[in-house]
Parts: sequence; C-alpha cells; structure tokens
Amino acid sequence: MTSISDQAGNKTKPWLSPDDKPIVIAGGFVLVILAVGTAYTLITQGTAPLLSPTYLLQQLQIGAFLGIVAAGMMLVILLGHIDLSVPWTIAAAAMMATAVGGPMAIPVGLAIGLAVGFVNGVGVAYLRIPSMIFTLGVNAVMRGLMVAHTGGFAPQTAATDLMEFLAGGRILGIPVAILVWASVSIGAIVLLTRTTIGKAIYAIGNREAAAYLAGIRTRWVIIAAFCLCGLCAGLAGTLLAGYSTKAYQGMGDAYLLPAIAAVVIGGTNILGGRGRYVGTLVGVILIVLLNSVLSIMQMPEAGRQVIYGTVIIAMLLVYGRGHRVVN
Amino acid sequence: MTLAGITKRYGGVTALDDVDFACSLGSVHAVLGENGAGKSTLIKIMSGVVQPDAGVMTLDGRPVSFARPSDANDAGIVCIFQELSLMPDLTVADNISIADPPRRFGLIDRRAQHRRAEQLLARIGCEDVNPLLRVRDLPLSRRQMVEIAKALAKDPTVLILDEATSALTSADVDRVFDILRGLRDDGIAIITISHRMHEIEAIADECSVFRNGRHIDTFAQGSKSEAEIVQMMIGREISAHFPPRPPPKPPEALETALDVAGLSWEDRLSAIDLSLHKGEIVGLGGLDGQGQKELLLGLFGVLKGVTGEIKVAGKPVRLAAPADAKKAGIDMALIPEDRKTEGLLLPMSIADNLVISSLGALANGILVDRKALQQAVADGIDRMQIKVGAPDDPVSTLSGGNQQKVVIAKWLMTDPAVILLNDPTRGIDVGTKQEIYRLLRDLAEAGAAILFYSTDYEELIGCCDRVAVMYDGRIVNELRGDDITEHNIISSALNISEGTAPEAAS
Repeated sequence: MTSISDQAGNKTKPWLSPDDKPIVIAGGFVLVILAVGTAYTLITQGTAPLLSPTYLLQQLQIGAFLGIVAAGMMLVILLGHIDLSVPWTIAAAAMMATAVGGPMAIPVGLAIGLAVGFVNGVGVAYLRIPSMIFTLGVNAVMRGLMVAHTGGFAPQTAATDLMEFLAGGRILGIPVAILVWASVSIGAIVLLTRTTIGKAIYAIGNREAAAYLAGIRTRWVIIAAFCLCGLCAGLAGTLLAGYSTKAYQGMGDAYLLPAIAAVVIGGTNILGGRGRYVGTLVGVILIVLLNSVLSIMQMPEAGRQVIYGTVIIAMLLVYGRGHRVVN
Repeated sequence: MTLAGITKRYGGVTALDDVDFACSLGSVHAVLGENGAGKSTLIKIMSGVVQPDAGVMTLDGRPVSFARPSDANDAGIVCIFQELSLMPDLTVADNISIADPPRRFGLIDRRAQHRRAEQLLARIGCEDVNPLLRVRDLPLSRRQMVEIAKALAKDPTVLILDEATSALTSADVDRVFDILRGLRDDGIAIITISHRMHEIEAIADECSVFRNGRHIDTFAQGSKSEAEIVQMMIGREISAHFPPRPPPKPPEALETALDVAGLSWEDRLSAIDLSLHKGEIVGLGGLDGQGQKELLLGLFGVLKGVTGEIKVAGKPVRLAAPADAKKAGIDMALIPEDRKTEGLLLPMSIADNLVISSLGALANGILVDRKALQQAVADGIDRMQIKVGAPDDPVSTLSGGNQQKVVIAKWLMTDPAVILLNDPTRGIDVGTKQEIYRLLRDLAEAGAAILFYSTDYEELIGCCDRVAVMYDGRIVNELRGDDITEHNIISSALNISEGTAPEAAS
C-alpha cells in the first residue's frame, strides 16, 4: 500500500480520510503531552496532578478564551483569508464593555467585535485588499483608537458581575467559560456542516471563481465569515475582561498566533478549503496543555518558546507529507 | 521507443494492464480511446510523471526509467499536456524558456530569451504573439500555441501531444499540423491524443486504440473506417453521431425565453441582438476569441459594465452576479469554459460539487436537509449516469468526461430555463460527447432554451437549430436549418463579404 499510495495520492482509499488524519495525530500528541507531564510529576513530586479533573477543567477554562477566538479564526482561514486584527478587537471589546458597564456591557463588547469584523469583511470582499494587509491595518487602527480612548493609561473600569460569572463562575462544578466555549463550538459545527453558508465557505476556500460561477454570493459569505470571526473575538474579549475583572492594553496580544496555530494544527489548510472543526478543538487543547506542562516542568521561558515553535512546525511537517497535492 | 508489459495501478483501479506499445521515429502515432481508457496514464509514464508498477521501457534499444519529468526531457521526450502548464503571470518569453533559460555570466539573458521566444513563435506561425505579454492576457488558443513553442524549445526526439489541439481554432490546428509534419520528416517520433477524428485522419500515420487500460489494436491510419475505430474505442455499437434535429416550429409557436437587445461590453461586444426560444438549441460559432465567451459571461451577470437590455421571459432583468442569474424567475445556468478552475471545486467531494448551486433549495429553514441532499445527489448521478465510486470521493478522482457530467448535473438541479454552455465537450471522449448532445436535445424538448458555444464546427452543425456566427464582438450572420454547413460557418466566421456569404437567415 505504501509506495502506491504515495504516488497515487488521492486515488487510494487510506484508512483515514485526509481530513481526519491531523486530528488523530494531534489527539495522540495531546496524550503524549499528558503522559510526559505525568511522568515528570511522578518522578519529581510523586503525584499525578495532571490527570486530576480539577486540573483538566482548569486548563479547559483557560483554553475556552483561546478556543472561542480560534473558532472564529477557523471560518476565516477556511475561506483562504486570515484575520490579524484579533488582538486589538479583543482589547477593544473588553475596554468598551467595561467602560459602558451595566447590562449593556456584554452587548457592547459583542457589537464592537461584530463592527470590526464587518469592516474587515467589506475591505476584503469589496475593496479586494488582501486580508493579511487589511486586517493588520485595522488592528493598528483599533490600537490607536483604544490608546486615544484611555489616554494611554490603564483604564480605571471594572468588569460587570455577569461578565465575571460567565468567565470565572461555575455551574455544578463546571466552569461557565467551558459552557460558553461549548455553545460556540456547537454553533460552529452546525454552521460548517449543516448550513448553506458553511458549504459556501468551503467552496470559496477551494476556488473562489468556481464558487462565484456556481451562483454563490461570495462577497456576502466573506463578509459574514469576518463578522463571525470578529464576533468571536469580541466575545473572547468580553469574557477575558470578566476573568481578570478588568480590561487592559495588550490583553489580546497573546491570542493571535496561538489561535492560528490551533486552527492549523487541527488540520485546517492554511490556504483554505478544508479542515474540520473538531481538529480546531483538539488544536486548542494541545496548545493549552503544552504551555501548561512546560510551565509545570519549570522550563525557562526561552526553552518554552523554542519547544512550542518546534512542535507546531513538526506537526505541520507530519501533515504536509500526507497532504501533498497531486495534480 | 517501446513499452513492454507496462502495468499501473492507482489503489484498486488498474489504469494500464500489461500494455505493449511502440512508436517509431519519423512517424505520427495517434492514441485513441475514451477518457479513462488509460491514454493519459500511458503518456504520464512515458514522460516520467508517474512510474509504472511493472514493465520495461526502452528508448533507442536501451532500457530507460524516468524518476521525474526532467529525466524524460533530458532523454528527449517532451510532452504537451492537456492542462496548460504555463505560469499565467510570467511573460510568454519567460514561460518558453522556463526550464532552461539562456544565461550570460550566470544571469538570465533577457535579450537572448526574447529572441529565442520570437524565433520559436515564428516557427509555429504565431508572430502575432508578443513575447513580452503576460500569458494571462492571451486567449486560450494563443496560450496553447505558446505551450507548443515551449515544447519545441526543448528539441524533442519524442514529442507527445495530449489533447494539445482541443483549444485551438481550425486555422491554428492546420498550422500546428504543418509543423508536426515538418518535425516528423526531420525524424522525430510524435505521439498524439485527440478526440477529433478528422484531425487524426489528417495527421496520423499509425493509430492505437485503448480501452479500459488495455491496448486493443494498432493499425495503419486509413486501414479502418471511422465507424470501426469508434466501435473499437467504446466497445459497443453506436447508432447516430448526433440526435436527429426536430423540424422547425412555425414562428407563432415559438415562445421567447431570452431576448437580448444592443448588448455591449467594453470593446469586446458591440450591439448584440439575439433571442432564444424555448425548445431551441442555438449555437455560437466563429473563430476563437470573437466575443462568444464574453457574451455568455455577460448574459450570466459576470461582467461589469454591460450595457443593453436583457429580457428573460419577456421581463427586463438586471444581473449583477451569477447569483442573480440563478434566481427563481430567471433560472439561468452557465456551464463554464474550464471545468477544472471554473466548473468544479476539485478537492471537494462529488456530492458537495453536485449540490453547491442548489443548496438554497435543499435548505429547510437554515439547516440543509440531509435526506433531501442525499436524494438530490443520487438523482444527479443517476440522471447523468456519472461513473463514480462513492459520492464522497473527491471530484478530482473522476475522468474528464465524468467531471464535465458533474458540472452539468450541478446546474440541472436548479431546473434552468436558459442554459448557456461554453465549449462543454472540450477534451472529453466520444461516448460522453454523444451523451451530452442527446441530453441537450432532451432538455430542449422539455422546454429549455440552450445557447451553446463550441469550437468544433461539427458539433454546431450536428446539434443546433440555429447558429449565430460572431466576428469581432458582433453577430455577423445567423444560419438556420440546412444552411448550417461547415462552409457557411467558416465563411461567416471569416466575415467574408456579403457577396460570397450564403444567404443570411432572413
């Protein structure tokens, strides 16, 4: 099977579909991380805290913010685009939500995300500016607006109780943030597999011209995907403000690259067109656990960065060999 | 060059089964067969794109094996593939010399490259192509000529043409054939694949027929009749080439489906008047690049800034996008020119491709109804008799003819009233072509209006009730019924003055 399947590529029937393979590999790697971390703690401390439900729930709670951002990012990457405005969309949503306060805090945070997403979508779909440039510009604009808004100082506002509950509260022992992430995930799965717009997103990511000629309103779909990505970033920003009880400059900076990495590790093609949402979930969990285990192992920051980057590149190398484009 | 016992399997599918094949220097060898018969695989093996699972290849009596296409090129085997292999954003000159540009002090010598391109283009009679133009800006037929020039630049001893003439106009084909004859007389072995029987008659010395991965027979051109050859290719009797044309309806029975008045676009279309009636197949003829494609795209809402009036079923409409043309009440469909880049989403599944244009109709509220979707996919495959393994396989695994059937089936699902086709039979096998002709006639009889552009005059003559011949963005002549002859189409296409042209349709 091996030599023939290498040459024949997609003509053979592999035991795993090409979309599932990265998910299985990433899932396996999650187990490896847990095993290595547990072995380390067993040797040094004689306990296995990594396998306790408390630890895992806590990690998922931290992962929820990244997971929500990654869900939105995935829609845009599936189109063959990218959204680099996520960091300051998160920060802007958090700052405006805390500044407004009261019952309107969360709607305002979400509206900020939606508005930024809409601007991105129009820029990419109608003005035809490459998303990498346009969203980078929007990110800078948002940053400038927020600095002007706060006068360059840390904002003196606090998150509302509801925001704190959604980000840090628990229902029956389960962090609410995980439930929010789960709802977003279900929404994303339904969107991608069961709706017209989901199919259209894949179609555009594969070949926009063919999708357009098939009678898909490609511009609307692009705008919708960017809106949803912005909305997710706005939601993540609002929750993050609740989690840390306040908003601050640069609070979204740590989410851009991990979100893209999670999507890509989950098997979504960075050029668009293919990928499954479950992969993105696994990718988020992998990144969160990797970070956590490295910090438990008291790896110095420099070493953590090197390992983190190496893992991402290594995973993509593994996928890349199976994904080679044939004709 | 000889091949002995060549076998190639793709997974469970045997593409070539114990094939023996030989071609000799100084002759033109035509390889015939339906799509999926193994012709393309044969060529890929000879040119080093894929490696055989078993068998030996010998060149000049020495056994050879090619690990990659450049090995085959070095051995003098050059292939012109059916899919164009030019870089659209590079200039013609860059493309021609891309594998081995002339160098000076280690840097590319642009002037030498330019000269070389000019010489090669002149050799194939394409002096009109400026080597400094980007390939993207050339029409398809010119690109194909550039492709041929690029192959000649490699000084082949074995030249393989895989459907290399399918995008060319008749005048270009004649020119290419003259060049090929010249090359043959210089002692080059030429292998050609074509679905156009008259071209094979014109150029081939020997023919080999393939069917289902087996080499059926090799014979000298002319020793078998066309019917016998077709019989060998498809392995079954075929009754008629084209379905019979129904007698013309009286004018009062005609119902107008699409009415176009004064349609213009930039300098490519000028004041086009055309009406399509229900139940009618109208052909678009003329030389390549006279505005036929633009007319189809303009009708389908793809082009921006189209002026003039389009009426669908008597109502004026404004179409800003294909999505508008697809809407209920307008119900247009366009089978685009290039199925690989415009018609299909190649990596996606057959099922996804089939329903992509009709998802809105299959949605139940927001959610797509899975049962209805599966049913629609099964119906589409059934209706067009598409040969598929599983509907979830990528559409790229299908042969060319079956891929085109997917494109057509996709649009039939929207129940179109006006069907626009842009050269739908290019590069597909005889059997599938006939199925498509039959289908067009059936659709017309069921009440659809069909506008059909083809570069193959035989198709226009055999299929159409009426042929509008275009020249320089205008419709110069409309032929009906028995006036649709090759002579009339060509003389209109060349815009020969009214005196020598046949009586125009009144």
